Amino acid sequence: MEVRTIVEECLELWRDPYPRLARLGEEGERPVGVFCSYTPEEILHAAGLTPVRLMGAVRAITHADAHLQAYCCSLARTDLDMALAGELSFLEGAVFVQTCDTMMRLSDIWRRNTGFSYHGDLVLPIRMGEEVSLPFLIEEVKRFRRGVEGFLGREIGDDALEESIRVYNRNRRLADRLYRLRASRPGAIDGLSATACLVAGFWMRREKHNELLHGLLEDLEGSEPIGGDGKLPLLVSGSVCTTPDLFELLLELGADVVDDDLCCGHRYFDAFVDESAPPEEALAKRMWERVNCPAKHQCIEDRFQRLVRQVGDSGAKGVVFYLQSFCEPHLFDIPYLRQCLQEELEVPSLVLESELQSFSRGQLRTRLQAFIETISGV
Amino acid sequence: MSEDVRELTEEEKADKERRKIKSAGAMRELMTKYYIEAKGAEGTKRHIAWITSGAPVEPLIAFDVIPVYPENHGAMCGAAHMNVELCEVAEGRGFSRDLCSYARGDIGSAITRGGPIGGLPRPTFLVACNNICNTVFKWYEELARFFDVPLFIFDTPFVRGELPEHLAAYSVRQMHEYVSFLEKMTRKEYDDARFVDVAAKSLFASALWKEVLACNEHRPAPMTCFDAFILMAPIVTLRGTQEVVDFYQGVLEEMKRRIEEGIGILPSERYRLLWDNIPVWYEMRNLGRLFMELETCLVADTYTSAWTFEGVDAEKPLESMARIYTEVYLNINLERMADKIESLATRFGVDGMIMHSNRSCKPYSLGQYDLAKEFTRRTGKPALIIEADHTDSRWYDRAQVETRIRDFVENLLGSGL
Repeated sequence: MEVRTIVEECLELWRDPYPRLARLGEEGERPVGVFCSYTPEEILHAAGLTPVRLMGAVRAITHADAHLQAYCCSLARTDLDMALAGELSFLEGAVFVQTCDTMMRLSDIWRRNTGFSYHGDLVLPIRMGEEVSLPFLIEEVKRFRRGVEGFLGREIGDDALEESIRVYNRNRRLADRLYRLRASRPGAIDGLSATACLVAGFWMRREKHNELLHGLLEDLEGSEPIGGDGKLPLLVSGSVCTTPDLFELLLELGADVVDDDLCCGHRYFDAFVDESAPPEEALAKRMWERVNCPAKHQCIEDRFQRLVRQVGDSGAKGVVFYLQSFCEPHLFDIPYLRQCLQEELEVPSLVLESELQSFSRGQLRTRLQAFIETISGV
Repeated sequence: MSEDVRELTEEEKADKERRKIKSAGAMRELMTKYYIEAKGAEGTKRHIAWITSGAPVEPLIAFDVIPVYPENHGAMCGAAHMNVELCEVAEGRGFSRDLCSYARGDIGSAITRGGPIGGLPRPTFLVACNNICNTVFKWYEELARFFDVPLFIFDTPFVRGELPEHLAAYSVRQMHEYVSFLEKMTRKEYDDARFVDVAAKSLFASALWKEVLACNEHRPAPMTCFDAFILMAPIVTLRGTQEVVDFYQGVLEEMKRRIEEGIGILPSERYRLLWDNIPVWYEMRNLGRLFMELETCLVADTYTSAWTFEGVDAEKPLESMARIYTEVYLNINLERMADKIESLATRFGVDGMIMHSNRSCKPYSLGQYDLAKEFTRRTGKPALIIEADHTDSRWYDRAQVETRIRDFVENLLGSGL
């Protein structure tokens, strides 16, 4: 398939994955919703389930307001709203990884008010990367596996789990190759297309996504750069981008995303699962040592220094923080992250907040335009 | 409202005096002494640790470290109507208005030394426990950067259903680590006998506090939960010391005496309500007046009872405390919270519940809509949810909240529905 066709299809999925997800059942797949990049998707995959990412939707809230206050993030509110409206009935259930206070409570609210047959909880420590928490995390992963087995009514074989780990590791290698290609050959693929091809994987069986990425890379690596140089290089940091709008607008405005620190981007595929260790231990270890979500306290690599390094390496001239309104973990880090970028690299940054129930492309455009003009004017 | 304007008659004055809780004076003395000592320790050889309200403080007391509570200070700033200006300082530094107002106010106070007592004394290290929320560790990470001091995080993952063994084991490992951290900070050795003594005092004070709160099962109630919000300061900040034990013994005696003499906190008690969530600190006086006018007593709450610990094994204080601190009210699932609310409602014989939907506290507030429904389903009593913020009054609409409370009491409770 041609690069352009692949990218188009991925973009379409990113714009609205739900029609596609609703058809998965007809194709014999058993989708389970996941919200978080810490979800040990390999266990679901090995169980014959298809993990699909729920990243909210641009929509007005009609049902969720009876259960969640307006000061809670729009990811939780719109996801719950879809579930209560019966629009996620294609799911067998969902997995709640407890990263923040909202996810911790959403799990109970979801369980009590929706009728899915499967409900998974994974409780994470916040002290990632410290010896004291690893045994707890390994036991949690084991408990999570037992929960899935209980739902299936059968055991998940170690062989199957090890195979799923290999499939997901291959996916991480391919994603990493895509990001490296983008960095080493400017103009080979823009940020919008690269990210679209990555996130499209959230809504398909992982083997299929591996094929897609492999085909894409073969084509890209064998062809000449299609141009697109001369765009202002930027880095995007934050949680998830529910829609491609941010990336599209940046391209339209003469900028391009050269790297990201998003949990639907670089943070999703960071670090591998050790294929030689016992599977649960290896899965836990990856979560424990990977670049952390700001809802976790990480001791191995400081998130601030990592971002400074990433910005330096990618040559980004500015950073766009794209966060969910009311997201405490991200909002707490913002002042210091911006200070580090300014003091160590003199890189300016912009903070944008996403509220899916009142999403305004026009407003987003105005603010991005002003930011880009400021940097270009320097 | 008219009470603000009208002079009280001699009789009314005497009655008001008779109803006043005398222990409040002793509490003010105790807390003033504590803050003077803590502030005086700054710059001396004594160690000062800033600590979250739900964290195990007993090890600090056992190591002679002075514990300082930004949350208690936040409540004080809120009650003094000074927290908004402190929040604005933090907001000026880029902290979002959507972050917890305790955290914003505290960061503002650390920068400016503002607030009713001129800020808190500088910490030598920090202790944060996320059993009350995950906000605290982000907040304390910021404090650790600001003061450039070590931070110990006591991590208590969320408990669903029964406390699982691997989680209990994680807590116990951290309790030991916490002790080693304190040994390093203070260059003192852990003394088991001293710790057992502190733990025993803490437990004793906590048992007394529980008895104090239970006095409100009596009709008329000898105090409201607004009084409990004030009287709880020592159990939060200084449990583990003899002074606190003595103080609560005094409070308990006073409450028992009030019950014997039939002295209720309100001149007239028609309705009894349960309160959920942290107080609206800047609005205590107005709300207190409103409830008095409505002859409604807030007899119990889910907040103050968080400091009543149970099940400590004196033989293994570190281990059992680790478990207890992991299973506090805000760290358990909604069904377990509903059990607790139901049990309070039954014990205290309430006619309904008021829930403060607190913009600054997600773990306490998200799930309240479901809990309210569950409360009514289980008890047959109504619940009202009001919107506010514990210390940022900019999010508070007094007229609207008061109207809703009035309607709730007059129409819903008054009609017997």
